[in-house]
Amino acid sequence: MYRKTFFITGTAIACLFASLIGEAKAEPAACPAEIPFGLTTALTGNLALLGTQARNGAEFAVDEINAAGGISGKKIALKAEDTGASSTDALNAMNRVIESKPLIVFGSMISPHVFAQTESVNKSETPFLVGATNAKVTAQGSKWLFRTHVHDGQLADLIPEYLVKTLAKAKPGIMAVADDYGLGASKGIQVALAKLNVTPVAVTSYAPSDKDMSAQLLEIKDKGADSLILFGRPADVALVMKQMSELGIKLTTIGNSSMVAQTTLNNLSAADADGSIAIGGMIPQTSADPKITDWAKRVQDKYKVPADNFTVSYYDTVYMLKAIIEKVGCDKPAIRDALAATKDWKGLLINYQADAPGDLAHTLGIYRNKGKTPELIGPIKEAGY
Amino acid sequence: MGQLVVNGLALGSIYALVALGLLLIFNTVQIVNFAQGQLLMLGAFIGISGAVTHELPIALAWLATIVAMALIGVVFMLLVYFPLRGRPAFLVILTTIAMGIVLENLALIIWGPLPVSLPSPVRGPPLRFSGVVISMHQLMIFGTLAVILLLQYLLLTKTRFGILMQATAQDLHTARLVGIPINRTIAVAFALGAVLSGIAGLLVAPLFLAEPTMGGSLGLKGFIVSVIGGFGNLPGAVIGGMLLGLIETFGARYISSDFRDAYAFIVMIAFLTAWPRGLFGEKTSEKV
Repeated sequence: MYRKTFFITGTAIACLFASLIGEAKAEPAACPAEIPFGLTTALTGNLALLGTQARNGAEFAVDEINAAGGISGKKIALKAEDTGASSTDALNAMNRVIESKPLIVFGSMISPHVFAQTESVNKSETPFLVGATNAKVTAQGSKWLFRTHVHDGQLADLIPEYLVKTLAKAKPGIMAVADDYGLGASKGIQVALAKLNVTPVAVTSYAPSDKDMSAQLLEIKDKGADSLILFGRPADVALVMKQMSELGIKLTTIGNSSMVAQTTLNNLSAADADGSIAIGGMIPQTSADPKITDWAKRVQDKYKVPADNFTVSYYDTVYMLKAIIEKVGCDKPAIRDALAATKDWKGLLINYQADAPGDLAHTLGIYRNKGKTPELIGPIKEAGY
Repeated sequence: MGQLVVNGLALGSIYALVALGLLLIFNTVQIVNFAQGQLLMLGAFIGISGAVTHELPIALAWLATIVAMALIGVVFMLLVYFPLRGRPAFLVILTTIAMGIVLENLALIIWGPLPVSLPSPVRGPPLRFSGVVISMHQLMIFGTLAVILLLQYLLLTKTRFGILMQATAQDLHTARLVGIPINRTIAVAFALGAVLSGIAGLLVAPLFLAEPTMGGSLGLKGFIVSVIGGFGNLPGAVIGGMLLGLIETFGARYISSDFRDAYAFIVMIAFLTAWPRGLFGEKTSEKV
């Protein structure tokens, strides 16, 4: 009898404890009075434009969230550090940010910077959100690293496919900026073209500081190209397009989203820009949704710099983190797990879905410039999404 | 081929303009100003502020830029050269490098990171000769270089002020002892050096886009041109500039565009090894 009573009482107590533990697990981890976010990006040097556009996206979202009461009543404190253009400075900047014990950190869109920073962030066991576009960034095996922007591997497949299959061009010339970004993409494009049985008539590059690309353009023209695949940053893409026009070279031109970036178009005439095609991260300027165009205008008004695909990506990421923190609290492993489990999270322009390596963006835009106005031909999804 | 020659010479003319600015300061105080490229960038942005932001007539924007650059040249001298005068030359040279970084970041704060274009003062369709295209702006660059070369030659060899500059360069203390107003002479040299950079900036901005980091590479190329042509030599600066422009353009076309910048440095190393005085450098000797 006593044994039975003891057994029943024991079972009841055990059930009570189990239920209490279960409830404790469901309770989001508490957040500090100010939720610390860290960000490292290039705010000076020759990559400052890209870094500024990313910083603007993150900061704009943080300001909006704080103005609306923060995350569950707690304000976000964003600590931004400048990486300059060097990977060593990027690592130092990240170490300074990590010392302030952020809940999450943003890396930049400059892949060598992210490669330099990853080990340091891994050691700190902090969720690491990046926009860096080198396909190998998420292949480093870091369980803390997530990318919320499309990468060059996706572009390297889609640009040749669109050029050859849709535009029916078979003799492209390639021109890319001679850094990790451009040369990595150029190699990927050549591999993808080979799969389509197309050999580029010329493969050229230019240093990031180069101002005169006429020799490369003349080589591509002289070798009988019917099209140009151009992979660079907005300032140099604008220069290439301008110099093409001055030299009277008329080729179907396709490239990354720099072709339709506002920064590029601001420095071209309508005739110079007309007809060029871009495949890349989605940009807000072509949206038919007035809320999106209004958002882009507010960003432009605040920072005097147009919002681009990176601005959108970093803005979305902050809101994605807000939703996650509201759900799981300020617990780094829980945030990491929630990021890894992201499925159909709706951002400004695309839905985000995590894959095993940590890539969350799988939708790209195909654009064509009509004069100086980019028009969205259509979104295109990575195979399997 | 013809197009490559035209484009190589146009690029070389810009390098030559940077080298001419370097030369003016070098010929007065024997210092290489490694911030010459950043002064060029300032010239481009001041021109853009005038012509684009404030919509001044282009001639007025050019004039305002030239005046502003002269003042900037004097301030540059007061900040960089004067406090270190009499100290080892390498200290002043290092300070010019530091000042270049300061100017670059200052421009980033004032004008932001966006690349901007400046309209050319000359309009009109390009000239075409058997498939070779020469834009009106390229013609203007060639013309401006020729005028500046002539004026600088006349200034240095035919005017009293030019002789004072050369005397100051040869021996600062003796120049002071014989009553040469060396402070004024040096100030004018820095002002003119900055003006030349400003003009180069005004010519570069319509051709390339202006951005805060544009000066670093152009300044370095100006230095390489001076090594090729012979430091302090007027025809050397121009011919060295043209040569470098052609080497870069033809190298990028017929060898590989991947090593375009490397060609410039290979040529510089070759000259420093085989012809350290450059193409037109004068043989100098020092009494010990």
